[in-house]
Amino acid sequence: MNYLVPERLDRLAREYVLGTLTGRARRRFERVLKQTPVANVAVSSWQERFSVLAAGVPAMQPREAVWSGLEQRLFPASAPEKSAAGPLQWLWNLLSARALGGALAGIFLCVVVLRMQPGLIGLEPQADTLPASYVGLLTDAAGRPTVLASSRRHGEQLTVKVLQPVNVPAGRVAQLWAFPADAPPFPVAVLPPLPAKGSVTLTLPATSEKLFSNVGRLGISLEASPAGPGDAPSGELVLSGHCVKLW
Amino acid sequence: MPAAEDLPTLLSRVALRDRAAFERLYRATCAHLLGVAFRILNNRDRAEEVLQEAFMNVWHGAGGYNPAVASPMTWLINIVRNKAIDTVRSRKTERNSTVTLDDEGMDVAADETLQPQQLLDDSLTKVQIDRCMSELNASQRQALALAYYRGMVHTDIAVALNAPLGTAKAWVRRGLDKLKSCLEAAGVSA
Repeated sequence: MNYLVPERLDRLAREYVLGTLTGRARRRFERVLKQTPVANVAVSSWQERFSVLAAGVPAMQPREAVWSGLEQRLFPASAPEKSAAGPLQWLWNLLSARALGGALAGIFLCVVVLRMQPGLIGLEPQADTLPASYVGLLTDAAGRPTVLASSRRHGEQLTVKVLQPVNVPAGRVAQLWAFPADAPPFPVAVLPPLPAKGSVTLTLPATSEKLFSNVGRLGISLEASPAGPGDAPSGELVLSGHCVKLW
Repeated sequence: MPAAEDLPTLLSRVALRDRAAFERLYRATCAHLLGVAFRILNNRDRAEEVLQEAFMNVWHGAGGYNPAVASPMTWLINIVRNKAIDTVRSRKTERNSTVTLDDEGMDVAADETLQPQQLLDDSLTKVQIDRCMSELNASQRQALALAYYRGMVHTDIAVALNAPLGTAKAWVRRGLDKLKSCLEAAGVSA
């Protein structure tokens, strides 16, 4: 077929753009398009004409998830977080609200699978399950992970791992606060002097389960003296973050 | 239709990987484009999937956009419409191989002939070629509307309008001839 007869070309181009040119005829015309500039001109003209028919189509606002999904697909590394990526960025991502559901579901699945099939990874069941714990990752104002606080569910020991040095001025104490979902914050403990890097352990006034079962966030403020029952942070939190149940 | 943004400039900046320009382009055009996809797919979730896929293509393919050949909106509509038609046809193939036409299927078919006709009328009025296009008879207008707004092929149109295949093809051809001559007479388009 001679595609360059103008009338024939015009008819093929319009049915191609409209979508009524199908099957082998469509594929043949697509090959012609790749090699023939004049065919492209005919197609463009019809695209312009058909765009007139879109003028009366009512607009419809897409849900915001379409844009956020697009950002995540196109720019996965930088989309979710505005803070600079630190060495423990992966952990922060793991604990961020957005990823939390998936991460915990994954951990839960691993625990279930490994309990049922301990031989899967060649270990005894006691060795390969994470203990039920409360975990808080506290970040500084710039979003850098600074302190990791963790405690076994029914334990009374809180381990505080220092990831970045915490500067506590002389005459002040680092007071740890818990922020329950539906009640005012309460003081948990005063942190002992923190090393520049490494862990310290302190004793809680009750079991983690009692203290943290309804706590969504933890924070640290600098106070002149240890806080008592009923107190609230006197100033800004220097560190804060989510508190999650790890089971 | 978006008016406030300079779409050709935005598209040229998207081609240079300008993410802010990409978001502005999306915000300025997404509602109109979702409307186009929704008419073809008749399902909001699938239309939004198509919109997202289309903008993936826009990000990766903006360098191929030529302002001398098409307006930005025409280029964008074409991407969205092609994706929506691909989706509706692949789903149709799936359906045809799994279920037979039932009462529900007939309901959809009945609705399909009415709404596109209204969209066609509204669009033609907007660009002021409604009087010229009124020289087409009702079947010719419906055939054109089903092809454009629903992405139907000739055999679908023949079934929807209860006509022989050859007649359906002739109606579409006549509709396209008339669209071209009306637009030329009005000096609206290419």
